[in-house]
Amino acid sequence: MFKAMIKKEFLLVFRDKHALLALFVMPAIFILIMSVAMRDQFTNDSIEFTLYVSDADTSKMSKDFLQKIDSDKKFHLVHDRDAAEFIVTIPKDYEKQPNSKLSIDVRDSIKSDQIEAFKAILFEHVLNAKLDNMVRNVEEISPQISKILGELEISVDTMYEVSYNNSIHIPNSTQQSVPAWIVFGMFFIIIPMSTIYVNERKQNTLARLNSMNVSILAMSISKGIPYLVINQFQVLIMLGVGIYLVPLFDTPALVVNGSFFALGAISVALSIAAIGISSLIAVSAKSSEQATTIGGILNILLGAIGGVMVPKFIMPPAMQKLTEVSPMSWGIDAFLDVFLKSANFSMVLNNVLMLITFGVISLMLSMLILQISIKKGF
Amino acid sequence: MIKITNLTKSYRDKKALDNLSLEIAEGSVFGLLGVNGAGKTTLLSILNGLITQDSGKVEVFGLDISKDAKKIKNFSSVIPQHLAFYEDLSVKENLDFFAKVQDAKQENYDKAVEINSLKSIFSQRASTLSGGQKRRLNIAIGLLNNPKVIYFDEPTVGIDPKSRNEILDSIKEYKNFGITVVYTSHYMNEIEKICDEVAIINHGKLVEQNSVENLITNRNSDNVSVEVVYSKNLKELEFDMSSETTIRTKESELFFTLELCKKHNIAIKQISYGSTNLEKYFLDITGVCDV
Repeated sequence: MFKAMIKKEFLLVFRDKHALLALFVMPAIFILIMSVAMRDQFTNDSIEFTLYVSDADTSKMSKDFLQKIDSDKKFHLVHDRDAAEFIVTIPKDYEKQPNSKLSIDVRDSIKSDQIEAFKAILFEHVLNAKLDNMVRNVEEISPQISKILGELEISVDTMYEVSYNNSIHIPNSTQQSVPAWIVFGMFFIIIPMSTIYVNERKQNTLARLNSMNVSILAMSISKGIPYLVINQFQVLIMLGVGIYLVPLFDTPALVVNGSFFALGAISVALSIAAIGISSLIAVSAKSSEQATTIGGILNILLGAIGGVMVPKFIMPPAMQKLTEVSPMSWGIDAFLDVFLKSANFSMVLNNVLMLITFGVISLMLSMLILQISIKKGF
Repeated sequence: MIKITNLTKSYRDKKALDNLSLEIAEGSVFGLLGVNGAGKTTLLSILNGLITQDSGKVEVFGLDISKDAKKIKNFSSVIPQHLAFYEDLSVKENLDFFAKVQDAKQENYDKAVEINSLKSIFSQRASTLSGGQKRRLNIAIGLLNNPKVIYFDEPTVGIDPKSRNEILDSIKEYKNFGITVVYTSHYMNEIEKICDEVAIINHGKLVEQNSVENLITNRNSDNVSVEVVYSKNLKELEFDMSSETTIRTKESELFFTLELCKKHNIAIKQISYGSTNLEKYFLDITGVCDV
C-alpha cells in the first residue's frame, strides 16, 4: 500500500512543471545570482580608488610614497584632478617635519565608509614610507638597527591573522548563498504538497481512501516520504551548483569543510520541518489558491526573518535574535557550521533536534486537523 | 442485510437524520429518494463509516458499524457523487493505485475494467476523459475490492443519456453477482428503472418504504388530481394546487371539490386517481417540487 501511495505522489509532483521549477530551478538560479552579486561584499580584491597626488615636497620619501601607491592595485593614479575621487596633497617639507600631515580632498559622491577604507589602505603606505625613511636615517648611525628595521614589513595581511566564527576560513559569497537558498528551496515543497493535498480533498480522493481503510497516519507518512527524497535531491543539486557552476562565473566555489554525515543529518531534519509545515498549511487551506498564497507568503517571511535574503551576521543584534524563531535560520546556521567551522554531527545536533521536533509537532497537528475534517465530511 | 434502527445525526442545531429506521434486503437494488438536504448523503456517509451517528444502530451484514467499521469497509464500497480519482493520472494508473491500496485481486480488477468498458481508454489521462468515461472510472474504482454492498451517491449527474443508460445497465448486472446496491439519485426514472425497493426520506425522516411497483401503482394512496381550465377564481378558493391548473385532493373530498368548481364556473378537464409514476407520487407525499 505504502509503495503505491508513494508512487502516486511522485507521479503527481513530477507532472506538475511549475512545482519542479519552484523546487529545482528557482533555488539554483538564486544561488548563482546571489553568489555572483554578493561576491564583492566578502572580499577587497575589487576595490579601486582613483586618486590624484600633488607632491609639494618632491623628497626621497614622497617619491617612495608615490611609488608604493602606484604599485598598489587598489589605487589608480590619475593625472587629472577632476577625474580623481581623492586628491592627496603631500605638503612641503613632509620628509623633514615628522608630524606634518597629508591633506585629502574627497569628492562629494564618496560615502563615509569608502573614506574610512581609503584611509586604512593609504595608512599602510604612509607608515611604510615613513619607516623606509627612518631606516635610511638610522643607517648612518647604526647599520645594525637599520637592518632590523628594514626587515619590518607593515601590511594588514602580515599584522593580523583573522578567524571567522572560530574558523580560519572566512566566508565567501557562495558559502553564504548556498545554505540560505538550499533551505529556502526545501521549504518550497509547501506549494506542490499543499496544492496536491487540497486537490485530493476537493476531489474527495482522501475521503475515498479513508473509506478504503487507509489511515490518516498512512496518508500523511506516504505523502511525506516523496518530499523527503525530493529535498535530498535538491540539496545535492544545489551543492553541485555551488561547487561546479558558480566558479564558472568568476566567483569562489563552495567548499564543504565539515562532516558529510552532519550535512546529511541537517538535510533530513530540514526536510522533516518543511514537510511538517507544508502539511499544516495543506490541511488548513480551503483552496489550492489559498494554499499557494499562504504557503508562498509564509515561506518568504520565514526566509526574511531566518537570514535567507540578508545574511544574519550583517543584521543588527535585535534582528539576529529574531532570526532564532525561524526554522530556516536553524538550518542555515547548521549548514554554515559545516561549511565554515568544519562542524561534525555533535556540533549541529542541537539544531537538528530542533528542526525534527518542529517538523513532528507540525505533522501531528496536521493529522489531527485532517482527522477532524474527514469526520466532518470536509 | 442492512438494518438501520432509530438513526439520528445532527449538525449543530440541524437534524440531518431524525430517528430513521430502514431495512435493506441482501442482493437488492435499493433506492433512496429525497430532496436536497433530506439526509441521503449523511445516511450514506454513516453507512460507509465516514462519519458517526449521534444515536441509533446500523448493522451491515450482521456487523455493528460503531464497532466494526473497518471490517465493514473491507466489503463495502462507496461511489461518491463527485468524481474521486486523480485527474493527472491515467486510467490505468488510477486503477492500479486504488487496487494496490486495497490489495485487490487481479480477477476483481479485470471484472471492474470489463463491466465499465475501460480497456480502450487505459492509457488516457483522466482529465481528458469525457463525462461518461469519468463516471465509469469512478464506478470501476469502487468495484475493485469486490464489494458485497455498494453505495451509489447520484452517480449519473452531468452525463449524456447514452452513458447514463450504460451505467444503469451495468448496475442492474450487479444483482447477478449478488451485490447489494444502495442508490440515490435525483432522477426518478432511474430509480424506477433499476430499483427493487425505495425509501423516501424527508427532513431526515422516513416517509415511506415500499417496492417500486407498489409506489407507482399507488395502491395505498387515495390521492386524486383534478385538472381544470385556468381561472382567476382558483386562487380565492385556496385549493391545494400541485400546478397552476391541477388541484390535489383526497378521494373522500372529491365530491366537495367538484361542487366548488361547479359553483365558481371552473371547467374540469380530467380527473386522475393516484399517481401515474414515481415522480408524481414523490411530489404528492413530500409536497415539494425541487427534487
